[in-house]
Amino acid sequence: MMSATPDIATFDAATRRPGERRRSRIILTLLLSLFLIYSFVPLIYLVLSSTKTNGDLFATFGFGLGTEFNLWQNLSDLLTRDNGIFMRWMFNSVVYSTAAGLGAAIFATAAGYAFAKFKFVGRKPLFALVLGAVMIPQTALVVPIFLLLALSGLSDNPLGVILPSMISPIGVYLMRVYIEQAVDDELLDAARIDGAGELVIFRAIVLRLVAPGMVTVALLSFVGTWNNYFLPLIVLRSQDYQPITVGLATWYQLAQQGGGGGQVLFSIIITGALVSIIPVIAAFLLLQRFWQGGLTAGSIK
Amino acid sequence: MSNSPAATKRPGRSGGFASRKLAPYLFLTPFVLLFIAFIVAPLVYAFYMSLYRDTLVGGRHFAGAASYIKVTGDAKFWGGVWNLVLFGVVQVPIMLGLALLFAIVLDRGQVYAKGLFRLGFFLPYAVPSVIATIIWGYLYGPNFGPFTQIAKALSIPPPDFLSPGAMIFSLANMVTWEYAGYNMVIYYAALKAIPSDLAEASRIDGASSWQFARLIQLPLLWPAILLTIIFSINGTLQLFNEPYLMRSLASNTINSSYTPNLYAYSLATQGQQYGYAAAVSFVLGIVIAGASYIFTLITNRRRPGQ
Amino acid sequence: MTKSFNPPGRTMQRRDFLKAAGATVAVAALPAAVRAAEPVKVLLWSWVPDLQLEVDQFNAAHPGIKVELVNAGQGNPEYQAVRAGLKAGSGLPDVVQIEYQLMETFRQVDAFADIGQYANAHKGEFPPGLWAQVSKGDVVNGMPQDFGPMAMLYHKDIFDKYGITPPTTWAEYAEAGKKIHAADPNVFITDAPFGANADWVLGLLWPMGWKPVSRDGDKLVININDKIAKGFAAYWQDLINAGVVETKPGFNNEWYTGLDSGRYATWLAAGWGPLFLTSVAKTSVGKWRAADLPQWDKSKFATGAWGGSALAVMKTTQHLPEAAEVAIWLNTDPAPTKLYTTKQNFFPCTNALLSSPEWAGAKPEFFGGQEVNKVFAKSAAAVSTFEWSPFQDFLYQSMADEFGASIGGKGTLSDAFDRIQDAVVTYAKDQGFTVA
Repeated sequence: MMSATPDIATFDAATRRPGERRRSRIILTLLLSLFLIYSFVPLIYLVLSSTKTNGDLFATFGFGLGTEFNLWQNLSDLLTRDNGIFMRWMFNSVVYSTAAGLGAAIFATAAGYAFAKFKFVGRKPLFALVLGAVMIPQTALVVPIFLLLALSGLSDNPLGVILPSMISPIGVYLMRVYIEQAVDDELLDAARIDGAGELVIFRAIVLRLVAPGMVTVALLSFVGTWNNYFLPLIVLRSQDYQPITVGLATWYQLAQQGGGGGQVLFSIIITGALVSIIPVIAAFLLLQRFWQGGLTAGSIK
Repeated sequence: MSNSPAATKRPGRSGGFASRKLAPYLFLTPFVLLFIAFIVAPLVYAFYMSLYRDTLVGGRHFAGAASYIKVTGDAKFWGGVWNLVLFGVVQVPIMLGLALLFAIVLDRGQVYAKGLFRLGFFLPYAVPSVIATIIWGYLYGPNFGPFTQIAKALSIPPPDFLSPGAMIFSLANMVTWEYAGYNMVIYYAALKAIPSDLAEASRIDGASSWQFARLIQLPLLWPAILLTIIFSINGTLQLFNEPYLMRSLASNTINSSYTPNLYAYSLATQGQQYGYAAAVSFVLGIVIAGASYIFTLITNRRRPGQ
Repeated sequence: MTKSFNPPGRTMQRRDFLKAAGATVAVAALPAAVRAAEPVKVLLWSWVPDLQLEVDQFNAAHPGIKVELVNAGQGNPEYQAVRAGLKAGSGLPDVVQIEYQLMETFRQVDAFADIGQYANAHKGEFPPGLWAQVSKGDVVNGMPQDFGPMAMLYHKDIFDKYGITPPTTWAEYAEAGKKIHAADPNVFITDAPFGANADWVLGLLWPMGWKPVSRDGDKLVININDKIAKGFAAYWQDLINAGVVETKPGFNNEWYTGLDSGRYATWLAAGWGPLFLTSVAKTSVGKWRAADLPQWDKSKFATGAWGGSALAVMKTTQHLPEAAEVAIWLNTDPAPTKLYTTKQNFFPCTNALLSSPEWAGAKPEFFGGQEVNKVFAKSAAAVSTFEWSPFQDFLYQSMADEFGASIGGKGTLSDAFDRIQDAVVTYAKDQGFTVA
């Protein structure tokens, strides 16, 4: 995946002189580097600020070092604040996102399979409906979801976050396309002739062939759920159930209001922000191979 | 050829308990159930709510289409939509344009350290918008933010990112930062899917690499581009997190109806006007669907016979 | 518990005795089976950090009651939960933390129980302006937990540098501001976050006798853009036009640095201000002092309040006496109330604490050894009564929007008050109120 497609390189080899090629390489690398720096700047700020004390945060240059290296103290403050609620929030985020990712991947694959390889009544309109769901504004859904959950006694329940997050219309779309490309009709027919049941075919043949796509959908849902702020904000009550986005935002707003408690939390918020993005970045790094392959096929059409 | 290892021979159980005809419905069921429970049902309930009005004195009464009529004449709502149209017209082309450019460059391999770039550009997507907003909020600080500090050190007037005139651009910058990499990855993957013999054939025909890009890659990339544009329109018109969290930093610029979603949220949480908030959300949904549809129509007309 | 802190011994003993006697009688009246039953569970929603410590104190002192503490969000998110609970008819706590400014709003939807029969005995333990926040006549809905009477914190170093004595009237305040800014354009008398902190604005309008939304029988009287407001608007508009104050939002990095570095010479702060400032301003230790809030009329010393909340008892509670006891004990007993001031850094509500030598006599280094708390205690006693609207969040939102718009260029602050008046009247009528 890392080297250029030989054809394009051949292109360059055929149309440019070596010196020109190297020069344009350098120029383009510099150009891209600018954007890379841009991508990293806020993250660098985050890392540097995590090492500063509260006082230093306000007094020293944003992209410079503080007067003392305070990262360990910040981490310790972070983890002990409010009886270690931060770790609880991280745990919640991990649980919700993993559950949503797994669920989304399986349900989207099953649904995508149905759309890709079967003809049935209402196939086209149903698919259009599924895609159309992407366009529904959050606020139209979140408050009614909350009210419905309250009516059915499920308010302040993690399922209120996990279940809706398992719905991935994009996942259905991606898997449908992927399955259309990657799974041969003949393979399926052959299996049926051999007497295999539909579920067996799905499990044994289809799932194996579309693994990269499933990982993509799982990862997209994982990230989407991890980053989701609005849904858990409305649907969850207790601090103990909240994911990391809501938790950190709560501390952020607490720090802003100042009334009553007068707690100042900035160094904790910054350090918390840093810690909170590590799992997602790690997930991306580890699963690189899969999601890059999955997006390939899915985006062809 | 039935060489598949898992296709067990089960005499007398052809099709298993899931017959071929029922199979699609079976596979659809889990997704559809969730879909109905958490998308269809809430929508229906929201629609029902939008037909009623809740007042602090007098409780709930039926209002019919009154709320919808009110929305069509609501300057705050349309003001918010207009804000986002301005925002989108600036931000979406820039973000997608950059994403496309970088994807093409990376696909060609004309740079060093490709892997680093691909990963680095995508990294901001991993950062929740809440965190991104907090960080950019610090960076934008008009008196003591790092950019201001640099400007002061260089004796140039410091930029005011949070003024009314600059806010749209500051928000646009945040959103571009968050999502450019994501779109780039989509384009990159689509580029990789273009059959390699096409490039070879073009070269033989004598086309330059930029002609190849323009005449062959872009058209083949069009479905991916269209997809990202529609998602971007959708995301733009639904903007909430960033202005909501920036509000405390730029209260003179961002008010409670700066974006339609923010307006609906304020109506529900500050004004207790749930029914009206639901109507606002619905009208917003219609606007989004309308915009996407119109866009698809326009572009279809420009590209006959794809 | 140190001796200097106990309230007069006699009252304590008598109250204790009465409580014990009452409890014995009550227990004796219960059937035997019930007597041996589980402690009554009281659900408390509060966002106060580390409140579990005080709750533990309560549980230890009350074997028959067990308080379960849940953090249902701070401010708005919790209020959403309460509203949703009221709509659904379930999922509500017994005791809930509510800011004073929202209590009338929740009274409008009949959310609270009347604990007057238990609470009125404690009326005298609180400053009158504060007691008026949780009660209406004999009806008491909650117990005050923390408080924010306002006073002025100022940079002594800056005042000294420009030869300024702390202003005692608003006229002097404006003078001082102009003098300082003329001498150094990078220094402002204060930051006036009109668009961001509407509650700060309200705290300053408070002592002026502003009655934005009040009740007259079953009518609502809406007087937002009255003479008081216009006078106030003219004053601050003058300062803004002269460039003597900034109008940036408060409570962010920028603003803290501004206070610390001396960009802002004063902070018109609430009782929780000193401790708050101490934790944010690291380089200006020793340079700050406190003084009374400037006055409009020197002969009538009055102040307002900014922030603060109470523990209110919900009407839906199944255990009214126990819930009332929770709200009352947690805010009157010396043990938890003292702990609030040291652990959670609350500004004390009880007269006992306000006058206690230990608290009032504190001489923080940050304030150069001045007995800062005494200034705020004086302010606490002078907080006048204020009537909140039954839709305070809407009022605040309107204030924030319109002040922000004016600051952003759409007219003056005076125009903003007019726009707010219109918006609120429209809203009130829309919501079914009869507007006088």
